[in-house]
Amino acid sequence: MKFSPVLLEARSLAVAMGDTVVEPAPLKPTSEPTPGPAGNNGGSLLSVITEGVGELSVIDPEVAQKACQEVLEKVKLLHGGVAISGRGSPLELVNGDGVDSEIRCLDDPPAQIREEEDEMGATVASSTAKGARRQRQNNSAKQSWLLRLFESKLFDISMAISYLYNSKEPGVQAYIGNRLFCFRDEDVDFYLPQLLNMYIHMDEDVGDAIKPYIVHRCRQSINFSLQCALLLGAYSSDMHISTQRHSRGTKLRKLILSDELKPAHRKRELPSLSPAPDTGLSPSKRTHQRSKSDATASISLSSNLKRTASNPKVENEDEPIRLAPEREFIKSLMAIGKRLATLPTKEQKTQRLISELSLLNHKLPARVWLPTAGFDHHVVRVPHTQAVVLNSKDKAPYLIYVEVLECENFDTTSVPARIPENRIRSTRSVENLPECGITHEQRAGSFSTVPNYDNDDEAWSVDDIGELQVELPEVHTNSCDNISQFSVDSITSQESKEPVFIAAGDIRRRLSEQLAHTPTAFKRDPEDPSAVALKEPWQEKVRRIREGSPYGHLPNWRLLSVIVKCGDDLRQELLAFQVLKQLQSIWEQERVPLWIKPYKILVISADSGMIEPVVNAVSIHQVKKQSQLSLLDYFLQEHGSYTTEAFLSAQRNFVQSCAGYCLVCYLLQVKDRHNGNILLDAEGHIIHIDFGFILSSSPRNLGFETSAFKLTTEFVDVMGGLDGDMFNYYKMLMLQGLIAARKHMDKVVQIVEIMQQGSQLPCFHGSSTIRNLKERFHMSMTEEQLQLLVEQMVDGSMRSITTKLYDGFQYLTNGIM
Amino acid sequence: MAQVEKRGGLLRKSSASKKPLKEKVVLMYDEIFMTEDPSKCSPRFWEELFLMKVNLEYLEGKLESLDGEELMKIKDNINCLFQHCIQALGEDHPIRVVNALQTLCALIRGVHQKNKSTSGFDIINMLMGFDKAELCMKNLMESLDSLLCAEGSESLKSLCLKLLLCLVTVTDNISQNTILEYVMINSIFEAILQILSHPPSRREHGYDAVVLLALLVNYRKYESVNPYIVKLSIVDDEATLNGMGLVIAQALSEYNRQYKDKEEEHQSGFFSALTNMVGSMFIADAHEKISVQTNEAILLALYEAVHLNRNFITVLAQSHPEMGLVTTPVSPAPTTPATPLGTTPPSSDDEHRLHSGKLCLIILTCIAEDQYANAFLHDDNMNFRVNLHRMPMRHRKKAADKNLPCRPLVCAVLDLMVEFIVTHMMKEFPMDLYVRCIQVVHKLLCYQKKCRVRLHYTWRELWSALINLLKFLMSNETVLLAKHNIFTLALMIVNLFNMFITYGDTFLPTPSSYDELYYEIIRMHQSFDNLYSMVLRLSTNAGQWKEAASKVTHALVNIRAIINHFNPKIESYAAVNHISQLSEEQVLEVVRANYDTLTLKLQDGLDQYERYSEQHKEAAFFKELVRSISTNVRRNLAFHTLSQEVLLKEFSTIS
Repeated sequence: MKFSPVLLEARSLAVAMGDTVVEPAPLKPTSEPTPGPAGNNGGSLLSVITEGVGELSVIDPEVAQKACQEVLEKVKLLHGGVAISGRGSPLELVNGDGVDSEIRCLDDPPAQIREEEDEMGATVASSTAKGARRQRQNNSAKQSWLLRLFESKLFDISMAISYLYNSKEPGVQAYIGNRLFCFRDEDVDFYLPQLLNMYIHMDEDVGDAIKPYIVHRCRQSINFSLQCALLLGAYSSDMHISTQRHSRGTKLRKLILSDELKPAHRKRELPSLSPAPDTGLSPSKRTHQRSKSDATASISLSSNLKRTASNPKVENEDEPIRLAPEREFIKSLMAIGKRLATLPTKEQKTQRLISELSLLNHKLPARVWLPTAGFDHHVVRVPHTQAVVLNSKDKAPYLIYVEVLECENFDTTSVPARIPENRIRSTRSVENLPECGITHEQRAGSFSTVPNYDNDDEAWSVDDIGELQVELPEVHTNSCDNISQFSVDSITSQESKEPVFIAAGDIRRRLSEQLAHTPTAFKRDPEDPSAVALKEPWQEKVRRIREGSPYGHLPNWRLLSVIVKCGDDLRQELLAFQVLKQLQSIWEQERVPLWIKPYKILVISADSGMIEPVVNAVSIHQVKKQSQLSLLDYFLQEHGSYTTEAFLSAQRNFVQSCAGYCLVCYLLQVKDRHNGNILLDAEGHIIHIDFGFILSSSPRNLGFETSAFKLTTEFVDVMGGLDGDMFNYYKMLMLQGLIAARKHMDKVVQIVEIMQQGSQLPCFHGSSTIRNLKERFHMSMTEEQLQLLVEQMVDGSMRSITTKLYDGFQYLTNGIM
Repeated sequence: MAQVEKRGGLLRKSSASKKPLKEKVVLMYDEIFMTEDPSKCSPRFWEELFLMKVNLEYLEGKLESLDGEELMKIKDNINCLFQHCIQALGEDHPIRVVNALQTLCALIRGVHQKNKSTSGFDIINMLMGFDKAELCMKNLMESLDSLLCAEGSESLKSLCLKLLLCLVTVTDNISQNTILEYVMINSIFEAILQILSHPPSRREHGYDAVVLLALLVNYRKYESVNPYIVKLSIVDDEATLNGMGLVIAQALSEYNRQYKDKEEEHQSGFFSALTNMVGSMFIADAHEKISVQTNEAILLALYEAVHLNRNFITVLAQSHPEMGLVTTPVSPAPTTPATPLGTTPPSSDDEHRLHSGKLCLIILTCIAEDQYANAFLHDDNMNFRVNLHRMPMRHRKKAADKNLPCRPLVCAVLDLMVEFIVTHMMKEFPMDLYVRCIQVVHKLLCYQKKCRVRLHYTWRELWSALINLLKFLMSNETVLLAKHNIFTLALMIVNLFNMFITYGDTFLPTPSSYDELYYEIIRMHQSFDNLYSMVLRLSTNAGQWKEAASKVTHALVNIRAIINHFNPKIESYAAVNHISQLSEEQVLEVVRANYDTLTLKLQDGLDQYERYSEQHKEAAFFKELVRSISTNVRRNLAFHTLSQEVLLKEFSTIS
């Protein structure tokens, strides 16, 4: 549905219409879509609007009221039309119990909508009605600007969120709640944390406006349901425990987890499901056992184990529970993290991790997925030997690779069948095994026949070493690799063949050549097990794991990786991700070649989550420790000498990413910038990770990092020194980036501001977080002043290395220039 | 109470004249041993019997005291007792079930002890009667199966397993135990699997279940189709296989732990005075023997699983969180053989040690042939600290165990092989074990060559161990040649070197390791020269070793080429630079400079090997092994089965 004409969910309006409270307003013919001011193209208008937000932000209640009424009218009109003409879609016929309606989205071609709606309608209806009543009191047609804005093509999700947050008018809120249906799913998804935080912490009207959309999306997507449930839990956690229990957020979370929001289409697919009991009642029984954690699995296994020699666990096909397997999966990953934390050494942790994962593998494939992935898939295997424990003092974050099979639709595609590990390897059997079938049948008729799933042809198997294929150029053309018959006695067949001679020098040369060709790998360090794993080029790793996987031959096989964090609050990370993402799109829009890499975050609870790892990147700490080189020398080693294209492009990447992250660090006040928190990727980009200290929070005992961002002499050396062109380019990029970011400040601030609602996160500590953030955009400065600011920040960061004092910028912000 | 009863039984046996107070159950047994039907006068006889506490000693003793003919006279009553036992197994009251199980044990054992010479068919007839045997055994197996699978008492299950073990080991040669034919038909394989797959039951009975399975698999292994073999070879349920692996791993690590305790205890007692061979001899006292033998059963189970089941290797390769670091890697196979091999110099009088050592090497051979296992062994991501029990020897100090490096498992296997090579050069030369040991190394190298695995291993230790072994063979030529064909072994060793020389580029970790290989060969050239003159001598005169020796001469061609090529170069280098003794670095320099003028001959089949095959070559060994295990299990069982007091208490409180 993502790219189809926007479908508008009309549940709330339809119900309102069907209800009694709303008095039908006089039918007003509306011309639509409302065109924006003539002659304005998109770009310029946008800038007008963003600049002029101050004026417009006073929302005229009347306009809102009008807008709302218009929507209602249209619904009514169209609904009548549907009823009269009988222009129903086939879907409507199937679902006769729902309120079917068709509505035109304000600025989009008409779209059909069908939605069956039961309990949800009532609440929404009442709220809409309430809003309508209130609105009637201040009814004046003073300004149609707001409406025109809302109806314009430029009204994007960012603005919608902003109005939803700022407007005190229930009518406007309800209207925007409906408008959410018009946006593309992925656009709204970006603001999901904001929407849910508003739902939890703001007043009822906002909540009522948001809820229908959330519920609708939950019905459509299981992944969306999961994300909502997790975020609702995490963002409710700062509330007092007593209020939390009865809060709206908790209720909605329960609703989602109760699986009542099953996608409607499943019902259609399974029409004759009458004997099935109410599915919401007994989720535990039907839970797909493979997704359970070890502890629970042992129980379920015992009860479910069929007494056959071979017991392929086939999924219970009738209506799998939607979220339970996934939650079990997450739970077992977290449990592993907790258990790892109790072990003293890295080595023990690594071994334990590998063995825990091998057990987890027994329960895969299952109806589980990695929420950080961008496509629908089923997890089929965790290559357990590849997992590594990451560097952390007391907690045990770990990185796992996950093999998945991509699928069209997670809900409808069935879980892939299990392929045993040994599929990849040979079939060694007892000498007389094939003939056994008959005799053993004769011998005992009571034997249960063993299900054999070895017969699908697509599966491939490689025989033992004898036939093992290695895709490497055959070095010895004369070697006897292809002789299948072997005997120890035939070693020196002096009489049979012409002797083949080889030069010892060639052997020695090949050895050194082959070793030279392998990319510089890191040495294994028991204290830093992740370094080697992360250094291996991603493509190389994918190829290697694919070769070793029984699922590797499938065309839709993909490899994902994820960092599991247990005991860490990732809500700040998520906030940072959003800000970075926003800045990235701003810079892209404004064509500033700054490079940053936002990495995906999955908040699971207030103290656990998952992170999408940055591939092909190792920390600068690891680089320096392993290579024992300065950063510049490492660049030269990895990419070639100063004049090579490889080096120059790596240097450019370095500069662009450095400038991007310097701005990020400045704007978000990212602290705790040590080399372990800065990654370097294979193309020369740096990537900052760990946004544990941002905005108002900073590590207490480390003194203060006064500089605006981290800029060491080593970094400057890579850029070619203080006088080089690249260093000027770096400063120029910073300036451009800052100007661009300033232009769209609201889009950035908005993200942070909404998340501050009801939050106890340290980054919001104090009362001036938002004000300080806004100040760092320096809205009032001229570009010349900004340039000076950048110069001073760079200068200050450089100087802070030697003097640890940084005051120039203080001057500036205090108005002394 | 129980003790009084027991004593009553014993007393009666020793002094019948004293007329002691007879237990009721003993009286009832006596009735059975009459020719008349005991239920004739008391119709509830059988019902009552199984309410009585079994007096195993008496029953067994009584059966034993009768000779074949006397026994035949009371055959009907025995048949009746057997049938009623089976009937009682189906009853609700656990006491009756327990008593029935124990009575069955006693019956089976008593009859067998008496009839050692008679055929299996006679025994079946004696116990059940030919006509009813089939139905009888079917009922028995079904009852046992349902008892084992039910959610019932654990001690009851344990007793069922004991009965089965008793049944299986009642003859020395398992294949002559004709009753097992019924166990083949009425399979309890699934019940065994269920025990292994279910953690609580696995913890309780895993060991017995695994031993039972290992024995059943060996019933007429080579003559007929054994359904347990068939079934075991296709099991693919990971939970079950994992369970089996765990049981084996735990048993083996327990053995390792015991050994270690002993070793430490011993060392603290005698300090450093006994850091020589005497120390290790001391360990091999009578007490230790038991654990070595129990170990055989579990090693056999491991072997059968590895050899028969293609999925088991994958399980081996997966570690289990329950297993700590102490027990070394989970994969019991590759490491645990360390103990019997690395620690015990098999002295000729100790058959069991030889058996264990051989079995361990066979297991390693199977593993080294398996691609998946190899992938696991060589996985750079899976690092283990393996503590090998190194024997204290005259010329080396005991290595500090504390700072073992963490390496891929194959390093430990190679270390173990090196350790074996170094420590077993003795007069009673274990030729067979050496051949297997070198084969394991060879198979591992073949894998590395094929898959281009560059293992960071100090190959030098292996090279010098191999050269030392060659030296040993030569210095003991006359003694060894009387017993063994030492040329096979010599050929294998030389070919290992050939493997390094011609294919070193595919699996050596660094160019300098190739240089080191040459250095080592040049350094030890005397040994190769001697070997060459020896094999040349034997291949030119027309003795029995002519052919074998000539093979070695041909295999030596490259090594001789290297020696002949570099030695003059080194001498001239020394002469030019006026150095009497070249340092290693200087030799390496000469080697590096002169590769290009050296031509080697490519030899055929260096990376080929003969696959392991049990049936053709090892059948006799396994027959003997199973016989020894059977005897041993039976002996241990006698003790266990008799001490079921706990069990009775458990049920008496329930009732």
